[in-house]
Amino acid sequence: MVKIKLSEELKEEMKKLREEIENLKEQLKDATERKLRRGRGIYIDIGNRVHDYIEDAMEGVAEGIHGELEKSIFIGPRGVRIFRKEEPYEKEDEVGISFPRVAEVMSALGQEHRLRILNELMSGGRYINELQEKLSEITASTLSSHLKVLEESGLVVQEKVRGRYLITMPGRTAYKMARRVTRFLERRNQE
Amino acid sequence: MMWRNYQLDNTVLKATEAIKLWQTEKGIVEVSKDTLAILIKLGVQRRGYIFHGHGRLLLDTIVETDEGAIGKPVEKEVNEPFLMMEDTEKVQPHLNPASKEDLTRMGYENLQEFVAKAEDLFDRVFRGRVHSHRGFDESDGLIFAFQNEANRLDILIGKGSKMVYKGVGIVFVSNEDKVVLKSPGEVVCSNGGKSIIIKKGRSVIVRK
Repeated sequence: MVKIKLSEELKEEMKKLREEIENLKEQLKDATERKLRRGRGIYIDIGNRVHDYIEDAMEGVAEGIHGELEKSIFIGPRGVRIFRKEEPYEKEDEVGISFPRVAEVMSALGQEHRLRILNELMSGGRYINELQEKLSEITASTLSSHLKVLEESGLVVQEKVRGRYLITMPGRTAYKMARRVTRFLERRNQE
Repeated sequence: MMWRNYQLDNTVLKATEAIKLWQTEKGIVEVSKDTLAILIKLGVQRRGYIFHGHGRLLLDTIVETDEGAIGKPVEKEVNEPFLMMEDTEKVQPHLNPASKEDLTRMGYENLQEFVAKAEDLFDRVFRGRVHSHRGFDESDGLIFAFQNEANRLDILIGKGSKMVYKGVGIVFVSNEDKVVLKSPGEVVCSNGGKSIIIKKGRSVIVRK
């Protein structure tokens, strides 16, 4: 009984295989005919699998690119900023920034009048008399000494011909960071 | 009209007072009183001078961007001979013939010694150059050539408010609000409010 059952199952299986072979032959015939019509390479329809694969692969690639872009490019209302790849953290003295230099910059920022001067320069270059006018609570000699400190720390530069004071790129960044750090600490304190 | 037709005069002059040779919003070249000068001629025309004395070069080679100012001003004492090509009309009235004492004060034993030094600079600037076939006239503005600490030539060209400066490790081109600055490790191009800042190994910032 078991043998009979197996042979029937085999027959059934073979029948299915024959049908499948016939089906494939038909597909091949159709493809050949299409190829002859087009005069190009053989076209074999292998269903949606390729499309699915491509879609999956492209989605992966797109996600990868998007992830990289998110890490390195910031598109804001004022422009596009491209950052370099993050460097692994190194100790300060290993990246060539000496603690005295860090102290110099922090010291330059660590004075209310100097922060007010930087704030004033954020909106553009100023002559000393313009600064004096805006920051009337600071005496002329104190203003000059503060500007000297800011210049020496590289946060401000003075034009030699016109004499205006300008906030430098590091100055702008340092000023913004000082404000952000303070805001962050204030929030932490409130929590 | 060729550079090779330019010649140095054989009379040494001196500044009777401090002279501002060039001044714009971005730069100043000046010499102090008693600075020696020798005329550069084209036939009978005065075309420029070689100065030696105490001079000063100030240039605001700074680019203002939304990210902050980039670059540092150039401030140099010019104590070596330097060359200036320009319309000499405004300089000539401030120059008188120099005496032997004037030469001695500047460290020269005689006239020939100064002339030899001036000729050396003149040759370095013009002769043997590929582009030396081109003439110079007032429309070219001013050309300065200063000897720098690396014993090479810093070139400054000024025409109205336009300026080009090439020094050690720096090139600065300015035409009103259009500025290009190339300094060690960074290139900045700015056109009005738009700027591109390229820093070596760091970042590219585009502002519009």
